Amino acid sequence: MGHEISLVVNGVHRRLHVRQNETLLEVLRDRLQLKSVKASCWRGECGLCTVLLGGEPVKSCMVLALEADGGSVVTVEGLARDGKLTPLQRSFIDHGAVQCGFCTPAFLLVAQALLERNPGPTKKEVLSAVNGLICRCTGYHQIVEAILEASRLKE
Amino acid sequence: MFVSLPDFEYLRPKSLDEALELLDDHAERARVLAGGTDLMVDMRSRVLSPEYVIDVKGISQLHELRYERGAGFTIGAAVPLNEVMGMLMIKERYRALYDALEDMGDEILRNRATLVGNICNASPAADTAAPLLVLDAQVEVSSVNGKRVLEIKDFFKGVKGTTLEPNEVVTAIHVPEPPDGSRSRYLKAKRTSEDLAIVGVAALVANEDDPKNRIVRLAYSSVAPTPVRAFEVEEALRSDRPIPDLVDRAVSIALTKVSPISDVRAGREYRIHLVELLTRLVLKELLGGA
Repeated sequence: MGHEISLVVNGVHRRLHVRQNETLLEVLRDRLQLKSVKASCWRGECGLCTVLLGGEPVKSCMVLALEADGGSVVTVEGLARDGKLTPLQRSFIDHGAVQCGFCTPAFLLVAQALLERNPGPTKKEVLSAVNGLICRCTGYHQIVEAILEASRLKE
Repeated sequence: MFVSLPDFEYLRPKSLDEALELLDDHAERARVLAGGTDLMVDMRSRVLSPEYVIDVKGISQLHELRYERGAGFTIGAAVPLNEVMGMLMIKERYRALYDALEDMGDEILRNRATLVGNICNASPAADTAAPLLVLDAQVEVSSVNGKRVLEIKDFFKGVKGTTLEPNEVVTAIHVPEPPDGSRSRYLKAKRTSEDLAIVGVAALVANEDDPKNRIVRLAYSSVAPTPVRAFEVEEALRSDRPIPDLVDRAVSIALTKVSPISDVRAGREYRIHLVELLTRLVLKELLGGA
């Protein structure tokens, strides 16, 4: 049974028919082909399906598509403008914060939301913000440095 | 492992009255959805397969988050934990609750997870339960038959059970103004890689230097089928005996209130040891002199 929802995804208005038990994660990955949104633990533990909903990070495996109806979603595909990477993305490259890359989209989105809310976070605040994300390569040090450096560049 | 959620009908009432009618019609066949951080996990693993999921986030009155000096906090069922933590007064006057919130799930989950959801899920390990027990919180409950207010101590019943009727919903938690000059903390033992408590202890202390008016409250999570408050401690510690003796007395009372199990996270004996250790630590911080 189809239910129509309306979503703004990376600035584009979308009308979609979804099942009642379909999650935001399934809609973004399978219907809109946004493969940066990783499907992994399906229980809110690893955080790699994180997207911004209304500007705030949410784990999209834990959100029904119908709950997001009328909302605005940003995935990592929506960060760069006109092919130009954001300072945060640049900083991830400069710090070698990308290893296998599986967790990178989620870290970028969470860091983006953090820096918008709090342009000069302490290391403790960065660690708290990303605490719900798992990097399987365990390259946390470079990621945290990249976020802190991007905040210094912004100021 | 399941990936897809089971089939259900999603309902999003716009008013509390509409939600109460739906809940009255569907009762045990329905589950209430607020943040979904427990419900989605339980549905995906088929622990729960409700026919109806009633999303209460469309009900504006459940988004109420209000503090009034003297009256305390009212925290609606749809308010995410990060919003509660964002209230300066929570950290200043309700520190035990803040301590618990700060270590629940993670910052991303706390954009969705709610305080009311945490107590309605009623895990023996519910982190907010012990702080709410020492803060004398009240649970505001509604059904088509009307409203009632439950003391938090009367809310939990057995493992993952509550005293709610199937047609009732918790609309808000009220946390009264703590006693003048009181301080509170929540200490928790856990494995470093996860947030689930092995043992949690909440304490609230006021007038510690005045034996006649001294207030000492203790409550525990993860050590009994439900979160428990050791009510007898309060009377026993209104005594002019030396503080170290009183701490010993509090520990021995606490140990009569707990009945921990052994599970994958910790053995029973270790949990009993932690009850003693954490009780001593938290009372040392709040009472001094120990």
